[in-house]
Amino acid sequence: MPADPTLDLDLAAVLDESRRLAASITPASGPWDAIVVGSGAAGGMAAYQLAMAGVKVLVLEAGRMVDHRKEYRTMEWPYASPRRHRLPPDQRAIAAAEYNFLDRPYGNDPAFAKHKKLASYAGNTFTRNWVVDEKQHPTTGTPYSWVRARVLGGKTNFWGRVAIRYGPLQFQAASRDGFDVDWPFGYEELKPYYDKVDVLLGVSGTKEGLDQVPDGIYQRAHKLNCVEVHFRDAVTKLGRRYIPGRAGVTTDGVLGNKYRARCLGRGRCSRGCDIGATFHSPTALIFPARDSGNLTLRPYSVAAEVFLDPATGRAGGVRVIDANTHEVMDFKAKVVVLGAGCLDSTRILLNSKSARHPDGMGNSTGLLGCYLSEHHMGPRGSGFIPTRIGTEPTLDDGRPTGPYIPRFRNVTDKHPDFIRGYHFQGGSASYEFPGHAQDLPGFGKAFKSSVRKYYPAQFAIGGFGEVLPRKENRVALDAEVKDAWGIPVLRFTYRFSDNEIRMARDMADTADEMLRAAGAENIKIDPTMLPPGWSIHEIGTARMGDDPKASVTDRFCRLHDVPNVYMADAAPFVSGGTQNTTWSILAMCWRTMDHLKEDLRTQA
Amino acid sequence: MKMPVVTRRTALKAIGTAALLPWLSDDALAEFADIQARKAPPKLKVLTQAQYQAVDALVEAIIPRDERSPGASEARVADYIDLLLGEADEPMRSRWLAGLAALDAEAVTRYGAPLVKLSEEQMTALLTDVSRYETVKPRGDAGLETPRNEQPKPRVDTLWGEVRQPLGRQPLETFFADTKQATIHGYYTSEIGIHQDLRYKGNTLLAEFVGCGTEDGTDCPHCGRKAKA
Ligand SMILES: Cc1cc2nc3c(=O)[nH]c(=O)nc-3n(C[C@H](O)[C@H](O)[C@H](O)COP(=O)(O)OP(=O)(O)OC[C@H]3O[C@@H](n4cnc5c(N)ncnc54)[C@H](O)[C@@H]3O)c2cc1C
Ligand code: SF4
Repeated sequence: MPADPTLDLDLAAVLDESRRLAASITPASGPWDAIVVGSGAAGGMAAYQLAMAGVKVLVLEAGRMVDHRKEYRTMEWPYASPRRHRLPPDQRAIAAAEYNFLDRPYGNDPAFAKHKKLASYAGNTFTRNWVVDEKQHPTTGTPYSWVRARVLGGKTNFWGRVAIRYGPLQFQAASRDGFDVDWPFGYEELKPYYDKVDVLLGVSGTKEGLDQVPDGIYQRAHKLNCVEVHFRDAVTKLGRRYIPGRAGVTTDGVLGNKYRARCLGRGRCSRGCDIGATFHSPTALIFPARDSGNLTLRPYSVAAEVFLDPATGRAGGVRVIDANTHEVMDFKAKVVVLGAGCLDSTRILLNSKSARHPDGMGNSTGLLGCYLSEHHMGPRGSGFIPTRIGTEPTLDDGRPTGPYIPRFRNVTDKHPDFIRGYHFQGGSASYEFPGHAQDLPGFGKAFKSSVRKYYPAQFAIGGFGEVLPRKENRVALDAEVKDAWGIPVLRFTYRFSDNEIRMARDMADTADEMLRAAGAENIKIDPTMLPPGWSIHEIGTARMGDDPKASVTDRFCRLHDVPNVYMADAAPFVSGGTQNTTWSILAMCWRTMDHLKEDLRTQA
Repeated sequence: MKMPVVTRRTALKAIGTAALLPWLSDDALAEFADIQARKAPPKLKVLTQAQYQAVDALVEAIIPRDERSPGASEARVADYIDLLLGEADEPMRSRWLAGLAALDAEAVTRYGAPLVKLSEEQMTALLTDVSRYETVKPRGDAGLETPRNEQPKPRVDTLWGEVRQPLGRQPLETFFADTKQATIHGYYTSEIGIHQDLRYKGNTLLAEFVGCGTEDGTDCPHCGRKAKA
């Protein structure tokens, strides 16, 4: 079979494998105990836990297989191609400013008619074959920069690696400030699972003893560089912390996984780490699970809905549309695990309509799709730190993540303008591309030497703030618009509230305050909020709780209405703090799978 | 550093793995080799020879050769701009070419000579005028201090990508901004820009991240900071 001409790499082998697998696995290939939808962080961990425990599991992945050796172009220099890592002319990624003024579906905008493919803002030369085409995957409603990747491993192929635990401040956020509700359990419940995830997958960091970001079981951390040490001294005087980044990367190696090696500090992990030091679901979870012999993997399998077994009233399995042939197939199993990503899992449930569940499965309360939350981003500050101005560059971008400023608002004090809080990420490095050059004035020899002069001294931080979970922020099925497979798409109703807007203002102010404290030159503060969805940390649209009238899933992420359907991704999360979501998805999923295995055992 | 002539073999080596190459056709590869090797004549897609000379002079004036490294001309930035123009939409391409013609005309009006014939002083005077907006001082003394929120929305449809639009910019200034950004991108993604000029040290195998010396309890040779006693 020839390579897909829309791909820039020769992926004939992996496309062949994907088609072969899809053609050979049919509903008759079972039986399976469990079906897992999706193969990202959630689907990968679900499949791994089940397969390793001897459960026969079928993974249905909408995208193709991934060839991690060929597609993770980790060390490619920009001058290796004449186009210098720009997208080819027939492809386009949506720019930040465009989200605010384009009508949706974005792919229908006449400006993009000439582009064969339109990606979300996360599309670039390295991710372009993974990030979905907005033309095939439209959305409607209020602006939302929803980043999706349909390929084995989902977004974990190019995630940002920041691996932070939720803490007590957030499980009991409502008790502290009276807004909304607490999680149905506390940090102590999830802590053992975070520990297990740390050991299984490897995470680098330092123990700091902070409640807002509890410590994990860490491998070798990445030190601060010269500029960062200087900045740390300054913010320490303000009573804030600036700690080495916590990265979902193994720096000392993990036991028993032949697909992974320890980190070798190239620093280009967002292209995919070809030696597998970064956690990517395929190499860390899916391939080892497949080696157990208990996992069947069917790519090109778009889950359209969970169907009901009319005899039992429980879920019977998953209806799949083959991504290429459009053939519709019903795969059956005893339990169904949804791990298509928070919003896509929610969409599958909303689309699972029957006489018994006319508004979608798990939606007897009408709450399915409500409480969409994520992190607001945008306010950032940058400047040059004097101690390194005019010095020779050092190798200081050879690590998987920069340092982290843990949340400092509403931890022990009470801010007058907003509840909850935010953290900052960022630091300094003489990166391969001198981004600061774009903002330096002038031309000629003076310009050129000023680029060099400031090159080692660049410093920038950007904030991530909690978006309050509010019922009115929601997704629903669009009544008319369908995707390329005929499945109704999501309509967003999502806006930031005053709390987020006031918090964003404070982010800009504190960024300024800290840069000034560090004596930075040429301080620039950008207070603009980025479009909704930018954080790629969506949570909450199938929220969990003990009261079946006020929540969609129980405390074990099982649908109240149909108890053999489990949510493995962030859809059941009650609130998201400021922490990047993935490490919590992994820990929560492990916990959910423990309960699923117990359910299977007791029901069998 | 001597620029090696790129053959299919050295290109393969540069890219790291044979597997990545198939999308580079033989033509593209030849072009790639041309761009890398200073002396090869350009194979132009859009620019005429005369326009190419003007662009080459202009980008060299933006990032010139200095005591540390060659400039944008040797890094073949004009070839890169030609490639960008070849892949740009017709309206953008025309707009940019009109900007080039206008700047050339401005040179003739002022000095009776086109861009390629300007002396260093004349070119500097011309570019100082068309880049003056960059150093308009809204407050404080650093031209850099214009807060981003006081700047209008970035324009997305420029030659190079997103470019911030200072207030009230004239057409020649717009042309200069686009070209400067394209030059920055072309130069600092070239071997000359990355290795010779910036002396970038990364993208190599590193057993352990180095960091500030004081983090290991020693005086730091890079920032001069003393280890805490
Ligand atoms: C650029 C970037 C940077 C990021 N940085 C960080 C970070 O630093 N820290 C952090 O914690 N998180 C980060 N994230 C977020 C992180 O990637 C996600 O939290 C994580 O991947 C979510 O896992 P998931 O399994 O829920 O979803 P995904 O990883 O999106 O996986 C979903 C899978 O389901 C499949 N699927 C979807 N719909 C269907 C369907 N109908 N049928 C079958 N299969 C389907 C998809 O193809 C995909 O494989 C980042 C993300 C991006 C894109
Ligand atoms: S820095 Fe480490 S994790 Fe990142 S790409 Fe290199 S080896 Fe992989």
